[in-house]
Amino acid sequence: MEPLPPAVRGFFKSHCFECHAGDDDFIEGEVNLEMTSIDWADSDSPVFWTKVYDVIHTSDMPPRDAESFPTATEREDMTSWLDGKLTEHSPVGGTVPRRLNRVEYENTIRNVFGIPEFEVPYSFPTDDSESGFDNVASGLILSPPLLAEFLKLANRIADEVLPPEKGSQSVPSQRYEIEPDGFFTSEGGGAALAEDRYRLASSRNMASAAAWTSPFEVPHSGVYRLQIDADVFQTDHMQYPYRESPFQLAVYARQNGEQKYALFENLRNLGNFLVAPGADHPPRFQIEVELFKGEVLGFRWTDGPAYSDPAGSLEFSRDFILGRLAVDKPLYAALLTLNREQRSAGQVEFYEIVQNILQSGELDMEDPRLDVLPVDIGGGIGDNYHNWVKAIVLEENHRFGPAIDLWRVEVEGPFRLIEDEETRIRRERSQRFLGERAPGISDEAFAGIFLNRFLGQAFRRPVSEDQMETYLDVVRGHLRQFPEARVEDALHLAVRRALVSPHFLYRSTTPGILDDWDLASRLSYFLTSAPPDERLRNLAGKGELSSAPVLEQETRRLLGLPERKRFIHNFTGQWLGTRKLSGIMPDPRLFRFQATTRVFFGEGHRRAMIDEGELLFDEILIENLPLETFIDPGFSYRNQPLTDIYGGELEGWEMQRVTIPTGARQGGIVGMASVMMATANGVDTHPVHRGVWLLENVFGQPTPPPPPNVPAVAPDTSGTVTMRQQMNAHTADPTCARCHERIDPLGFIMENFDPIGRWRANYPIYTDPPDGSVELEEEFYSSKGKGGRWGPEVDPNAILSDGTRLEDVTDLKRYLLENIDLFAHCLTEKLLTYAAGRPLGFGDRRVVQHIVENSSEEDFGFQDLIVAIVLSESFRTR
Amino acid sequence: MKNRIDRRQFLKGVGVSLALPMMESWVPRSLAAAAPPGQLKRLVCIGTYLGFYQDAFFPQQAGANYEMPPTLAPIAKYREKMSIFSGLDHRGRNGHEGWRAWMTGSATGSVSMDQLVADHVGAHTRYSSIQVTCGNPPGDARLSYTKEGVALPMVGRPSVFYQTLFRSDSDKSRIDYLLKGNSSVLDGVLEEAQSLQRKVSRRDQKKLDEYLASVRDVEKKLQKQRTWLEKPFPKSDYVLPQFDPISPELALECETVMYDLMALALTTDSTRVLTFLVPGWSQVFNIEGRRLSAGYHGLSHHGNEAKKIAEYNMIGREHVKRFGLFLDKLQAHRDADGRSLLDSTAVVLGSGMGDSNTHDNTNLPTLLVGGGLPHGKHWAIDRQAANPRKLGDFYLSLMQGYGLEIDRFAGASHNLNECFS
Repeated sequence: MEPLPPAVRGFFKSHCFECHAGDDDFIEGEVNLEMTSIDWADSDSPVFWTKVYDVIHTSDMPPRDAESFPTATEREDMTSWLDGKLTEHSPVGGTVPRRLNRVEYENTIRNVFGIPEFEVPYSFPTDDSESGFDNVASGLILSPPLLAEFLKLANRIADEVLPPEKGSQSVPSQRYEIEPDGFFTSEGGGAALAEDRYRLASSRNMASAAAWTSPFEVPHSGVYRLQIDADVFQTDHMQYPYRESPFQLAVYARQNGEQKYALFENLRNLGNFLVAPGADHPPRFQIEVELFKGEVLGFRWTDGPAYSDPAGSLEFSRDFILGRLAVDKPLYAALLTLNREQRSAGQVEFYEIVQNILQSGELDMEDPRLDVLPVDIGGGIGDNYHNWVKAIVLEENHRFGPAIDLWRVEVEGPFRLIEDEETRIRRERSQRFLGERAPGISDEAFAGIFLNRFLGQAFRRPVSEDQMETYLDVVRGHLRQFPEARVEDALHLAVRRALVSPHFLYRSTTPGILDDWDLASRLSYFLTSAPPDERLRNLAGKGELSSAPVLEQETRRLLGLPERKRFIHNFTGQWLGTRKLSGIMPDPRLFRFQATTRVFFGEGHRRAMIDEGELLFDEILIENLPLETFIDPGFSYRNQPLTDIYGGELEGWEMQRVTIPTGARQGGIVGMASVMMATANGVDTHPVHRGVWLLENVFGQPTPPPPPNVPAVAPDTSGTVTMRQQMNAHTADPTCARCHERIDPLGFIMENFDPIGRWRANYPIYTDPPDGSVELEEEFYSSKGKGGRWGPEVDPNAILSDGTRLEDVTDLKRYLLENIDLFAHCLTEKLLTYAAGRPLGFGDRRVVQHIVENSSEEDFGFQDLIVAIVLSESFRTR
Repeated sequence: MKNRIDRRQFLKGVGVSLALPMMESWVPRSLAAAAPPGQLKRLVCIGTYLGFYQDAFFPQQAGANYEMPPTLAPIAKYREKMSIFSGLDHRGRNGHEGWRAWMTGSATGSVSMDQLVADHVGAHTRYSSIQVTCGNPPGDARLSYTKEGVALPMVGRPSVFYQTLFRSDSDKSRIDYLLKGNSSVLDGVLEEAQSLQRKVSRRDQKKLDEYLASVRDVEKKLQKQRTWLEKPFPKSDYVLPQFDPISPELALECETVMYDLMALALTTDSTRVLTFLVPGWSQVFNIEGRRLSAGYHGLSHHGNEAKKIAEYNMIGREHVKRFGLFLDKLQAHRDADGRSLLDSTAVVLGSGMGDSNTHDNTNLPTLLVGGGLPHGKHWAIDRQAANPRKLGDFYLSLMQGYGLEIDRFAGASHNLNECFS
């Protein structure tokens, strides 16, 4: 316990006790300064006193309506006393044992065990985040369900690399008959039951559209014989000329229950048959094939008129249907007469409705619209080209041909068992994992060599003799207990133990300056979210990594590896908040209202938004561009979906680098679509959320959460009151004003961005109900946006707490460029928190300050900043 | 100084005005109204992923003299053993994610109602609860959550469910081998952690305490699993289909088998808490020899078009038919006291989807069968009432029926005991 000097007590008494003393129930912010001593042994003390230091240092306290204010000298004395004490009691370092988080665990398993496809199941508990990141040690709790999950996964992983022995089996051959009603399709259109046979009209290049033998699943991996009875179906009523040349039938296999939208080129093709037209009896095709356990068989006609393996299915469908409408004017005329209910009918019914209209002869062949092909299909059946092909073309082919008919399929086998894919992969993986076994060495010697290598990698440092003995004892014990067991079975147990050992689950536990091994881990998990690679391990082994030039060189090497994308993804996902995007579903009214074409929000937009931020980050990193680039880059990465947000014209989904003028509204992280969407809720915007985000993530001046029991301002979107009017309450009350004077102006500037980041000059007023029930468009051609009108003007003017007057977001960017140290400071703190896995303490401040001071040097780029962080005392201390 | 007093009064004022209604709701309602008289022993919750069409699921009339709605027609004979609730939901957010909140009240991170019941009634059975579905459920479908807010995995293959209930000897010996191995693994790592803990600072020790406590907790659970493994498994002559019908097109066939196995899980007393997520994708069903005109998911977005609604309802009725066969099995089975198993089992059929056409999570279909409770009515909850009853109130009544002392759940703090007295 350290007694408070009288001057300090006097300061508190005169300037703070008005609110921060007395009965605990009435203490402001739970900060009670009525005390006589400080207990520095309490780990909460440095955090508490740092807060006190900050509010006095920044003159945030006492508040502007206080009774008594300290003089400048009093303030100075106070802060310098606290500065000294905090520097003494809040040294650099102090990350508690840091558990691998979900992403790090997955990458660690992939690398150490050579299982690149490894993923934890959805029942794996999620990690909490603290200080903004989910890799901060104190937030990474180990709970019983998580440990139980680690234990379960340990079994699964050990099975993958040391599979248990299977007894040899013999399976008698059997015959399975698949009748026409034993075929299934999951989409319709391409394949369907036609009374006594299963009919295949040509189908899209997707597994969902073919005929599958769902009730027949291969029982054992082995060699089977398939007999397929199939013939050609053609009639006089076909739209297509009678075909004399053979039709091609393709047979596939895939795992039962696997996802339905796989493309055929990714499925196993078992064989192709030519089915000649005109046979009296359905010919029988026979083939002997290898089938794997759990597979089902699929059948498809691959050279029919529609969808014969076109590359772009969407483009193909559009061209195909437009081609038909160009020559079949009556069909086009019939479609133009459809009313709303007719247009939303199901596939079969739609076809019949159109046929009835065609037969009635009541068609307006003079309709001027028939002279041009529709730019947008817009006539029903979900307005989707695929559905049109299904409803008009394939339905026709099902009724009149051409098609291939399947009459019966017989499977017989297995005549001979084969090793299935999984067993083969496991066997090969096991050989790699165990390594070469020298001839003639004992089980125990072999286990020793293996464990030494494996444990070193799993624990990310050389194993001690004690540890080796402990794990060898596991192996010896198992072999003693089960004399007929293989050494692999004993190692299976040792591997399971290593996978739940604290030495595996937690990163460095040695206090103080990190040694080479812990440094290798911290560096590697920082920049690749994965354990150290071989080169890092070698350098650590030789004790060379901790030398500054080597450390710098390795940092730059890791940043050149593709694995840096994981760092970029994980860091920006949390810093820019883009992880939140998957949970936000924009209000459909946003698009109906403003759309000039049929715009809707999809996964493509979300993906592109996230990519934009990551690619910007990546270029700044790789090219070592100055930190100002984050604010006003002069370039960005865009694709066609992003033009729905930013305007402009781009083709394709590939992200392309585009130049944008500097000093403009667009560009950089301020106002970026992903950030704007993540700081809204998909429906409307709220200045407070964006203001808080900017303070926390760009200005580096986080604000405390609002006091309990204060209701939030619920946005009124009726358009009668502006957001600014609604927010006036914040500045009227001094308690609120203390933070909101800083928050709200920044939020107002961002009001020009709507909930998905589009620029707007006015607020929209919707006239549609909010439930997303879309009224079908009345016009055949796509219509202009409806469902709302523009309301009050957005007023982005703001006065910052330092008195700077800003007109809009371009002013804000200029302000940030002029005060780039603010941002440099903020970004350094964020990166260091992420890298070291702890909230930064008072002691880390001068480290950060030092880095930021150096960053103003000529040619100092973002990559240099990362290097400076890695070389810093804060990074290199646990 | 004037300003200061104002501020304090403001904060105090807010506190007081909030405290009043809260105080009122702190009074345990179970004291005010009688708890459900049913002696609930078992719980089964079944949720259909793509919901039901409301007008075919909810009766037109409230009270006892309602006309049986078409979707529920296959279980009309259970009229006196069931209650239909309309108007219930969690008053939460809408959208796809809302489904996951069906049994928890919030989208993620909180415990589901069945798991609270399982904690209470699950100690004497081999499995405190079992979660099943058909095949690989849609990517985001979740039903049961632990106290830690972790979604529980669901068994999708009938053969795996069957193996869980009726373990073969070879299966048992492999599990026993692994469990023993796990115990020795935990003993070992406990020592590693203890020796590590001796070398680190006090703060680090505290952090490692989490690890030690978790190891000890999991060890206890392993012990329980081993004890149960030693007890003989029940035998069954149930014949599984030759192949697991796990492809989406065969989901209705899979549903039949899953219901059969669920009945066996209850009649063999392997568990007393079951949840079943009845999935739905875009598969095209053949029902009564007729191939539907669109996929299940497409029909669920029926756009208020009569033909699509009719086909969507055909699928809904197929679900209820299978549900009815399951009820028949529970009804036929007698427990140790000679009572029908259905009379001590609360069976909930519903969905986290209120209106699939618009992805609306309000007014969720809710049906309760069995449990020996007074039944026979359609309870139309007044959604416009000042303080309308929520789905959480329904869950509170249920949980209290198992003897749980609980007054708040999923944002609800009343109960619906007035419906069961």
